[in-house]
Amino acid sequence: MGITMLQRELKRGSTELLILALLEERDRHGYELARLIDERSRGRISFHAASLYPTLYRMEDKDLIEGRWLEKAGQRRRRYYRLTRAGRKALASQRTVWDQFFDALNRVAHIKPA
Amino acid sequence: MDWNAHMRAAFVRASRPPDDEVIEELAQHARATFEAARADGSSEDEALRAVAALIERWQAEAAALHHRSRRPPTIEPPATAAASPFAGVIQDLRYAARLARRQPRHTLLTIVTMALGIGATTALFVVVYGVLWKPLPWPDAGRIVVLKETRGGNPPRFGAFTNAAYHAWRERPGTLEDLAAWSQRIVTISGGTAPERVRVTTATASLFKVLGARPLIGNLFEERDETTPVIVLSESLWRQRFGADPAAIGKGLQVDGRAHTIVGVLPDALGYPDRQSRAIVPFAVPAAAGNSLSVFNAIAVMRPGVSAAQAAAEGTARGRFAPDSGLTAEAVFGSRGPIEVTAVPLGDALTADVRLPLIVLLTAVGLLLVTATANVVSLQLARANTRGREMAIRAALGAGTARMTRQLLAESLLLCLAGGLLGVALTFLLQRSMTSLLPADFPRVDDLAINAAVIGFALVLTMGTGIACGLLPALHLRKGSLVVTLAGEGSAPAGGMHAGAARTRMAIMTAQVAIACVLLVGASLLGRSFLALLHADRGFDPESVLSARLTMPESLYPSAERRFALIEQILSRLRAMPGVADASFTSELPLTRGGSTAAFRMPSRNAGQEVVTVQASPRIVSAGYFSTIQMRTLAGRTFSDADTETAERVVVVNQSFARRYLGDAPVGAKIPIAGYATRDDASPSTTVIGVLDDVRYVSAQNPGSQPELFYSHRQMDRRLPVQTVTLLVRASDDPASVAGQIQSVIREADPQLVADVVLPLDQRLLTTLARPRLYSVLLGGFAGLAFLTAIIGLFGLLTYSVSQRSRELALRAALGAGRNDLLRLVLRQGLTVTAAGLAAGLLASIWLTGFLTTQLYGVAPHDAVTFAAVPCLLLVVGTLACVMPARRAASVDPVRILRGA
Repeated sequence: MGITMLQRELKRGSTELLILALLEERDRHGYELARLIDERSRGRISFHAASLYPTLYRMEDKDLIEGRWLEKAGQRRRRYYRLTRAGRKALASQRTVWDQFFDALNRVAHIKPA
Repeated sequence: MDWNAHMRAAFVRASRPPDDEVIEELAQHARATFEAARADGSSEDEALRAVAALIERWQAEAAALHHRSRRPPTIEPPATAAASPFAGVIQDLRYAARLARRQPRHTLLTIVTMALGIGATTALFVVVYGVLWKPLPWPDAGRIVVLKETRGGNPPRFGAFTNAAYHAWRERPGTLEDLAAWSQRIVTISGGTAPERVRVTTATASLFKVLGARPLIGNLFEERDETTPVIVLSESLWRQRFGADPAAIGKGLQVDGRAHTIVGVLPDALGYPDRQSRAIVPFAVPAAAGNSLSVFNAIAVMRPGVSAAQAAAEGTARGRFAPDSGLTAEAVFGSRGPIEVTAVPLGDALTADVRLPLIVLLTAVGLLLVTATANVVSLQLARANTRGREMAIRAALGAGTARMTRQLLAESLLLCLAGGLLGVALTFLLQRSMTSLLPADFPRVDDLAINAAVIGFALVLTMGTGIACGLLPALHLRKGSLVVTLAGEGSAPAGGMHAGAARTRMAIMTAQVAIACVLLVGASLLGRSFLALLHADRGFDPESVLSARLTMPESLYPSAERRFALIEQILSRLRAMPGVADASFTSELPLTRGGSTAAFRMPSRNAGQEVVTVQASPRIVSAGYFSTIQMRTLAGRTFSDADTETAERVVVVNQSFARRYLGDAPVGAKIPIAGYATRDDASPSTTVIGVLDDVRYVSAQNPGSQPELFYSHRQMDRRLPVQTVTLLVRASDDPASVAGQIQSVIREADPQLVADVVLPLDQRLLTTLARPRLYSVLLGGFAGLAFLTAIIGLFGLLTYSVSQRSRELALRAALGAGRNDLLRLVLRQGLTVTAAGLAAGLLASIWLTGFLTTQLYGVAPHDAVTFAAVPCLLLVVGTLACVMPARRAASVDPVRILRGA
């Protein structure tokens, strides 16, 4: 398995986790999510906006998140996403899975999560 | 750049383009990307390229970009806790403004309703404040009293005070600083420019002291000038005739042909009794001697600390020492009883006639405002109902009741403020025409203005209604339980509305119907009274009769012979004119106040009484007078050409005279000559040749008629003993075309003469009906608006209730309720409210119409027809308002509604 391929697989698996984690802090709109992922991973995880929205819609269909249009004073209306109860549970369980995965990696390959 | 359109264009070729909401979301992402790139320093081309790349990748994924939002858009309510209270209010207002923009129909309805209510109330307040409450312009107005004299309890036939009482009091006034006598007349002013007829005040010099008046320029005349021909101009006459030239002082002016010297100019604001008086000329009160009596108006300024009652008591005491004026007092007062003096504060006296009607109208318009506000409250309550969930969630998130009340208040205040502003703008528009809408003789019309008091009133009104509209829904909010509200969403409660709000709305509706009922009853009483006044049998027919008042001043016509000749000449020319059916004159027009009066003794026709003292109004008329105005002859005949100066002297009496003094056989009776002396022969008596139907002085305040005597001017020895006559012309064609001819005939006869406005007699009568007409039109307007508001309110209430009860109604239909059952159900709800309102309204009307008694003519305050017709009208229209919502309720499709819920 080449490095790029691993990266792609990791990214796909982690996208949902990243979105859930960011929404745990507060409700956010799509552009904000894309920007934050890019900023906080210092550009290392930048997935194309093209896949962001299909992901968001898929997550909404799975009832992990909930999108709604909000109109704030002095702004255009925007679609904000927020965590549902199911999303919160999913986030917790994914965190556990990733924790265990990193723990295993560390034990085997001495990789510490950042 | 329209990013939405740009994005839509990008997906136009996709086999299945994304939904609008997805397009919008992507468009916002694209815009944000573009803006971020520009902010990072990219050129516009580079930024656009970045966006284009983004779009290209989305296009590739178009198939995955399908999604449908499950939630309707919401408006983010303002934060629960604001940084400062002030910031919170601003935030509330901004939120309220956005909410108002989103519901344009509701917003418009509220604003227009409030604007009409506040505008009408403020406009009437302008009148009430200007007339009743605005301080009078004279410095010591608080101490000025209007004096009235009665004898044996009778007021004088015209005027208010006599020279006898005036001199007796003015010699030693204890409670008064000074008193003044005045009256008004219409004179011809000439000299320099064209002659014109103006109203002037003739007054003693003390009038200026009583009023505390100072001249604008020149001087005001002194007591020693009272017998000299001087004149004080009003500011407006000075500007009009002299272009405000100070050199006018000392110049001459002809008043009824007599030269007067201008001594000063009085500021318009201080004009007395009002600004219609264009000048003041001196008047010397004649000394009380023998049988003569001079009657005029009197005002006085009291010493500080003296009450009107004390002044009146002193006046009465001093009046008792006045010399007896014998039969003249009998003629003027109808009694020789003791003098009584009353003193009324000037402000009250000026506005006594209009005070009650104005208060009634202000109350009426206030009630109209209440119904308008009630409609808005009702609307707000309905909205509060639908917003219950929003409010409940906000309460759950920690917004306190005070916080949410503030929010609701901000919403209603904003709407009411907009309505109030529009209302005040409406008042400004109305105020321009208000002075011309009011009758010419309305007191203090010049004092109407929009000032700080009016604006303050409008502001208080606006804030008051705004608070009322916001607070009531807020109170219901308080009562509502969070759990009930949240759990209740989607299923309307059985009553159609949450019980509390429903009850409040029903109560409001009932009150609205009651108010509409009261106003309609009042308006129809006043309207019927006005129609009765208009169509009252006055004993003559004013239609097509033109009248012109002509004064022949003593300076131009010093002798009675010359006046007689002039009148004969004018009458013969008028009769010869085409379009004139008849022409005549009278010394006094029927139905005008004042005039001459006479008293004499004659043998009584009544048993047990030898001599009777007659009090009657003598009139001098030309032979055709009775036919010109078509008075009815009840017995005998009227004057003919045979009644000349050499023939037997005859008199025609009216029915009141015949009944009171002549008994069963009036025609042929001999009565002494009264009033106007004619030939000095040995037997100063006349024979009654005919009895005429009374000309009735028809008014709400003054029904009944006076004994009258008519003399033929032909029997006055070719001498006309009066200086002012009224010419009467019955037109056979269009009266308007004849009007100009009358003026030209007078001008041809003597270019120095000016006749007062020539008006068809029926129009002149209408001017005497101007006040009753104004009151009935205004109250009618208010009643109409209140009625409309109530009906709209009823319609709105039922429509809303039906929409809220759709589930219940559908269930009933599903369980077998027929169309008629559902119709009945809704109709019952509407009619219960209407009936309750009517019952309350009728009860209130019975009490309130008592206040109208003095304004009603020919209709009783508790008139059965009115009290039956108004409820019928309200019931019929109320039912019609219920029918549409009821039909909608009856046509529910149970399947669709129950499935959709």
